[in-house]
Amino acid sequence: MFTARLRTMIAAGAAMVLSTLLLATAPQPAAAETVDDIISRGKVVIAIDTTTPPYGMIDEQFQPAGFDIEFAKKIGEALGVPVEFVTVTSPGRIPALLTNRADMVVSIFSITAPRALQVAFSIPYAGQSAVVLAPKSTAIKSHADLVGKKVGLTRGTGEDGLLTEAAKANPGIEILRFDDYASLLQAMVSGQIDAMGGGDYGDIYLKKSAKGDDFEMKYILKTFYFGVGVRRDNPDLLRWLNTFIFTLKQDGTLEQLSQKYRNTPLPPLPVF
Amino acid sequence: MQSYVFQFGPILIRSEELIHGAWLTVWFASVSMVLGLAIGLLGAVTRSFGPRWLSAAVAAYVELIRNTPLLIQLYFVFFTLPFLGLKLSSSAAAILALSIHLGAYATEILRAGIQSIPAGQIEAAKSLGLKPIQIVRRILLLQALRAVYPALCGQFILQLLGTSIISAIAAEELTAIANNMVMQTFRSFEVYITVAVVYFVLVQAFSLLFQGFSRIFFRWKI
Amino acid sequence: MNLREFGFGEFSFLLLSARWTILLSLIAFAGGGALGLVIAALRISARRPVRMIAAGYIRFFQSTPILIQLFMAYYGTAFIGLSPDPWTAAAITFTLNAAAFFGDIFRGSIEAIPHGQWEAAKALSLRHLQTLRLVILPQALKLMLPPTVGFMVQIVKTTSVASLIGLTELARTATMINTVTFEPMLVFGSVALIYFALCWPMSLLALHLERQLEVEGRGRAALA
Repeated sequence: MFTARLRTMIAAGAAMVLSTLLLATAPQPAAAETVDDIISRGKVVIAIDTTTPPYGMIDEQFQPAGFDIEFAKKIGEALGVPVEFVTVTSPGRIPALLTNRADMVVSIFSITAPRALQVAFSIPYAGQSAVVLAPKSTAIKSHADLVGKKVGLTRGTGEDGLLTEAAKANPGIEILRFDDYASLLQAMVSGQIDAMGGGDYGDIYLKKSAKGDDFEMKYILKTFYFGVGVRRDNPDLLRWLNTFIFTLKQDGTLEQLSQKYRNTPLPPLPVF
Repeated sequence: MQSYVFQFGPILIRSEELIHGAWLTVWFASVSMVLGLAIGLLGAVTRSFGPRWLSAAVAAYVELIRNTPLLIQLYFVFFTLPFLGLKLSSSAAAILALSIHLGAYATEILRAGIQSIPAGQIEAAKSLGLKPIQIVRRILLLQALRAVYPALCGQFILQLLGTSIISAIAAEELTAIANNMVMQTFRSFEVYITVAVVYFVLVQAFSLLFQGFSRIFFRWKI
Repeated sequence: MNLREFGFGEFSFLLLSARWTILLSLIAFAGGGALGLVIAALRISARRPVRMIAAGYIRFFQSTPILIQLFMAYYGTAFIGLSPDPWTAAAITFTLNAAAFFGDIFRGSIEAIPHGQWEAAKALSLRHLQTLRLVILPQALKLMLPPTVGFMVQIVKTTSVASLIGLTELARTATMINTVTFEPMLVFGSVALIYFALCWPMSLLALHLERQLEVEGRGRAALA
């Protein structure tokens, strides 16, 4: 009985390893896609996330809305084809591109070098500062003041990287990672955390709670820039996107979007 | 598609984090299994032999917990209890919610086990002059446990895998650490495959342990 | 952007999104139940290799998180040249996964029936499948029902992981609404109510079925 169990374990384990190998060695179709391909196909498929307000969310009619969504629609208009949205979650953004689920990702996709090893980024179309928020009654001016405190943040965001580093350099900072921004803010309001890292639009949320006015922005961590993600073997599409973003920046469209959704101006957007 | 090259290197150099995550998962699962089983034993006996009102209260607890998602229970313990004056840390809140959750399932499973024991045995024990507590302890519990052992172990394994959602209230365990790794390395396929293997190994270890328990505790032949 | 209130429109949208949770659950019940029966039958087959394959199947699906299974079914299949849409990927994952659990529950209950009954049936010259159908299953059903329906309830709640691949079922809709209203207690309270309304009737049904079986069982015992 005991050895039979072991044998089935080994069999199942072997099946798992085998299927992994199968995945790894399977031939992979190559399809470099140009702007012309998209136009002749008659639609552009863009990956979005509707749980990341004010960039991706749902409006009063429960349709996708927000900075990213409106920007994505403008991409479709400029290409002259309808946009088909596919919904992704944060960890699904890179796989969605790599597995051809979408032509591009427009979903608060911060431009970082490690990510660029897997996908290519356009020049930034938006950006925001990561900041530390806390109750007014708490005196916080820098990382050193966070020692001995519980600091909440959203997993995998820019704040996560920066504050995790800060916690290493300043022992005694306790980091709590939440899965989404609303949970993080709820933890702040419930008093489960003493301070939090968030975007510079973060007080939109806190203002709604009864104790909303008790919170304030303490200090700025860093500014992050969002780019459109495309597959790495797609220089043609990337070149077009860069040109397109350049024109929207010059004619003030991006700034308008920022005021409309973020209630604050965009930081200066550098190019690369 | 862009040809994809699997790179397990960035994950394997973080194996220390993975082992830590696995340990946390084992810890959360084990503690909540012990507490959940205790709640279940108490609940099942109360439900089967307790006074009517108490039995009804246990039934209400079981129904309430089994029919709502663990995620909501976690939110309630972590986000709402502070407003009622009970502020628990992420880990404590996770343990509490996980144990209450498993306890409801264990209660229901064990109750079915107690019910499967022929009434004649209780009658016989009574006529031998055994007290109710002795009957429960010596006649019912072990037999009931044995009758529903597979179902109970299945529930325990579900619990082991189910601990993965406690990251919603910022408790760290294997899946949370895997997601951190995905965010650091952006190699979701490699990370998830590796983590699937780790979970697989953990489940096998727990199964072997459960198998060992059954050999120790249920040695008698029917 | 301004946050809005959690009003009637938001609640109805949440309620409507439950239809995807229901559909996904029904697929898992039907597909997983049918495949689960096959798996259970294979698992107690007289032939060893067949038993091993079924056991390996159950073990694989029970030992890895469904979240990762789903991720692989949706994104990972690209490596073997497939590209299922989210619904197909979710339907396949939930069917395969539920079958493993159903199969194991069925097998566990069947094996809990004393082995002497198999031998007695053999002495009465019943064949393997006949014994299973006429002697073992009716008794095993009593043990099988509570965990089976318990697991069905579990399936309804587990469908929430489908939000990983962008299916806007109940849980993901809740997150969407919570992020634009920031009323977690109202949003998740409503979600808890909706899940409860979906799951409770099933739990009640299970209890009812179980009681019926008990009555039958007692009836036979009194006759004997």
